[in-house]
Amino acid sequence: MKLTVLSYQKCTGDSSLLQPFEGLSPSDVHSLYLHIPFCFHKCHYCDFYSLVAPSEKKQDLYRQFTDRMIEELTLRATEVIAKPRTLFVGGGTPTLLPASQWERLLEALKTGGWLDAVTEFTVEANPETVDQELLAILVAGGVNRLSIGAQSFNEKHLKTLERWHDPARVAEAVGLARGVGIDNLNLDLIFAIPGQTLDEFDADLEVVLALEPTHLSCYNLTFEPQTALMQRMEMGQIEPLDESEQREMYEHVIAKLALAGYEHYEISNWSKSGQRCQHNLAYWEGDNWLGVGPAAASHVNGRRWKNEPHLGRYLSHRPGPPVVDVEELPLNEQAGEKLMMGLRLFEGIPMAKLTAMLEPQDPRWQMIAQLTQMKMLEQTATHLRLTRQGLFVADTVLSELL
Amino acid sequence: MNIRNFCIIAHIDHGKSTLADRMLQATGAIQDREMREQILDGMELERERGITIKASAVTVTHEHKGTPYMLNFIDTPGHVDFHYEVSRALTACEGAILVVDATQGVEAQTVANAYMAVEAGLDLIPVVNKIDLPSARPDEIAMEIEQVLGLSAEECIYCSAKTGEGIQELLDAICDRLPAPKEAAKEKTQALIFDSVYDDYRGVVLYFRMMSGKLKANDRIYMMGTGRTYSITEMGKFTPKMVPLKHEFQAGEVGYAVAAIKTLGDVNIGDTITLDAHRAAEPLPGYQEPQRMVFCDFYPSGETQFEMLRDAVERLHINDASFTYAAHHSEALGFGFRCGFLGMLHMEIIQERLEREGNVNIVQTAPTVTYEIKLTGGKIIQITNPADLPDMSTVVEIREPLVTCEFIMPNENIGDLMHLCEQRRGVYKSQQYLSETRQILNYELPLAEIIYDFYDKLKSLSRGYATMDYTLTGFRKDNLVKMDILVNAMRVDALSVIVHREKAETRGRALLKRLKKEIDRHMFEIPLQAALGGKIIARESIQAMRKNVTAKCYGGDVSRKRKLLEKQKAGKKRMKRIGSVDISQDAFMAVLETDE
Repeated sequence: MKLTVLSYQKCTGDSSLLQPFEGLSPSDVHSLYLHIPFCFHKCHYCDFYSLVAPSEKKQDLYRQFTDRMIEELTLRATEVIAKPRTLFVGGGTPTLLPASQWERLLEALKTGGWLDAVTEFTVEANPETVDQELLAILVAGGVNRLSIGAQSFNEKHLKTLERWHDPARVAEAVGLARGVGIDNLNLDLIFAIPGQTLDEFDADLEVVLALEPTHLSCYNLTFEPQTALMQRMEMGQIEPLDESEQREMYEHVIAKLALAGYEHYEISNWSKSGQRCQHNLAYWEGDNWLGVGPAAASHVNGRRWKNEPHLGRYLSHRPGPPVVDVEELPLNEQAGEKLMMGLRLFEGIPMAKLTAMLEPQDPRWQMIAQLTQMKMLEQTATHLRLTRQGLFVADTVLSELL
Repeated sequence: MNIRNFCIIAHIDHGKSTLADRMLQATGAIQDREMREQILDGMELERERGITIKASAVTVTHEHKGTPYMLNFIDTPGHVDFHYEVSRALTACEGAILVVDATQGVEAQTVANAYMAVEAGLDLIPVVNKIDLPSARPDEIAMEIEQVLGLSAEECIYCSAKTGEGIQELLDAICDRLPAPKEAAKEKTQALIFDSVYDDYRGVVLYFRMMSGKLKANDRIYMMGTGRTYSITEMGKFTPKMVPLKHEFQAGEVGYAVAAIKTLGDVNIGDTITLDAHRAAEPLPGYQEPQRMVFCDFYPSGETQFEMLRDAVERLHINDASFTYAAHHSEALGFGFRCGFLGMLHMEIIQERLEREGNVNIVQTAPTVTYEIKLTGGKIIQITNPADLPDMSTVVEIREPLVTCEFIMPNENIGDLMHLCEQRRGVYKSQQYLSETRQILNYELPLAEIIYDFYDKLKSLSRGYATMDYTLTGFRKDNLVKMDILVNAMRVDALSVIVHREKAETRGRALLKRLKKEIDRHMFEIPLQAALGGKIIARESIQAMRKNVTAKCYGGDVSRKRKLLEKQKAGKKRMKRIGSVDISQDAFMAVLETDE
């Protein structure tokens, strides 16, 4: 499994020996992310760190991995004031981890005190791998939110994505989750799949709405570098929808979900009132979070790093996992990043926060004024935010503010 | 000693350099083991492009019928842009070897240069080269030479520079058939500067031909054209190695001189050297101030600052004074340089050398020609930038440079050529059969119509077989107007063009279509307009970008997404932002492409 590792390294020396917390004063970490890298198959659009476990060694590998993750948690507990309010387990396919290992992991989280302040505990689930037994274990361990990767309900388009699940299993998974008392449910949906029509996408939305999730993530399909999907596009096997079709679908989902009573609170995220994903909000608002597991990224007080995306080294390296891509951006670039992330939210960035992070002579103010005049940005009583027009070309707008 | 001064004239790729090298080898001037491909071509860039930019001279001794002869090879530039330089090199010679490829036949440049040589009073030895090739048609080509140039087919020497066949015969012919330098009519010293190069250690190295009188090291000299005086510190000859000599140079000789001249800009090709203490009454005829035919602006782009560009331009100019430069300010593009060139190829070479040797990024505006503007009150001014055109109420007429173009074409493409020339406001002059399959055509054309893509068009309509040559003949008034281009309602001075009134609308529409292709879509719709005076004559619009938004962006993506956006932004840095629109280099050049 090859993955490009960004080589930007602010701190020099052997990064694998670097202690990410060195020199940082202990700070509150409000969110915890755990990365479970296993999949039984790599979907063609996916650029997350994931690998397919060799079947004969699977059980042993899962156990070793869980051991190591518990060790990492123990190590980190000595370095941060760890009272996260949100916890998110993503992957890969977290539900591929056997129930027995889940029990150990959840127990460790509990005894480590990681769950003490948690109000939102999400696990990503693949519709093929959730069953009653596992769900019961998750709920017992404190999980109160499930994020189910539906992607599409059309077999043809699931095939294009090389996503192997029976679309009917999504509804079953939703039913099972509710059966064990998890009502806070997110469904992931992908649109603008090569060959997809607006009607077909609308049909997907109908199915999703009928399942009445509390939260919806609808992503315009992205051709990420180093994915099979990108390769197939470059070889001319598939052709992305054109910009107008993509925009039409995006406009459609915005309108349809608004009518169905969902709040559009981030570029690709909708929720019922009061059900926004608190964990993801921490990313967009530039809060501190800790990532545990191979390839997991962390951010504490302006310093970013990432555990090396390599399972073997994750398992063998002591004391903590090898760390890469450590960067500590100058304040000016941190401000750019905060703008890039914060303006993804529909409410925008609070003016108070903006004036605190930008010097009065910062040229961004001028750019903000220009973009406001161009009706790409607007100011509400309290916030600076993208206009509806600006939303569709957010990358162009945000690139001006970096 | 018997002296023979001669040059080799040939079309590009007809084997001039190989022939010269083979002759040097045959005279023993260079040993076989020293034989390096194409001794006379010094520069890397020249070799890449297969052309010779700078002439040089090589002196060798050859024994013929028991008598030693001093042979001076004078190299001539092979491209259409270097007419004047060619003419000066010819003046330094009594004879010329006219090389024609045995498979290709006579080309436009061969004809132009041969005529120029005849006009300069040179004797010609026609040579049919590359007879070793299987597709060689020497007899047929010899007939072509007779037909077009009036040189008897029987006088042609057949040779192969590659195998060495016919080389001895050619050397004998040079001694037998070319005249010795004429006895000098005057006593006072006159030496013609026919080329110059820059050497890091010596400064400017002049190539000269003694026409009368004498010259030696330590003489104080006076340049009659530029009015400067210098002391000669070193004189000598290239054999082809640079050999300093103490002896006194006599009329008829060719050599080099070094005189502590700091930049090539201080020296003009065609100038006359005389002794400062005993000045000649008048300079040698035919001297011209260097004439720039094509102009464009260079602006710094990307990370390059104006100061970096200025350093690079100044440094290059020390080595190559063939282009002119002056600081220039554009409303739209800021500070840069307006530069003048001998022709389009010359412009491309300078731009490439600036970027390569000066390590700068350049945005270049579309090339234009010089216009003569007659103002109310009778005053005539010259402009080299359409944006400099004065207010039209003060303009009586606009005159543009005209050239006569000579084309050599396969018969079957004549119709296409005529069509192309008509589109470009050409006036048919004459037509002549060259052979059964090819003709020579003459057209008068505005220079502005041929500077950009004309040559490419000619090549493509003839599948590469047509060749052309042109000479500037003067200025003529025409119904010309300045067309302004507005991007997002803002006039972009660097995009203004001078066009013929009757063609303005067609050109305007075509130009906007091209611009539409070259300017990326922005967050907003961009209106494009072409205007004459205050009147909009064509409009287009670049639709706003429909969608450009990253769908997924979570904790692990922050750095990567930021870098992606930074990349988007960096891409824009290689452009020029005018108002809120980013305009790329290609868009500036698109102004001249007229295809619909």
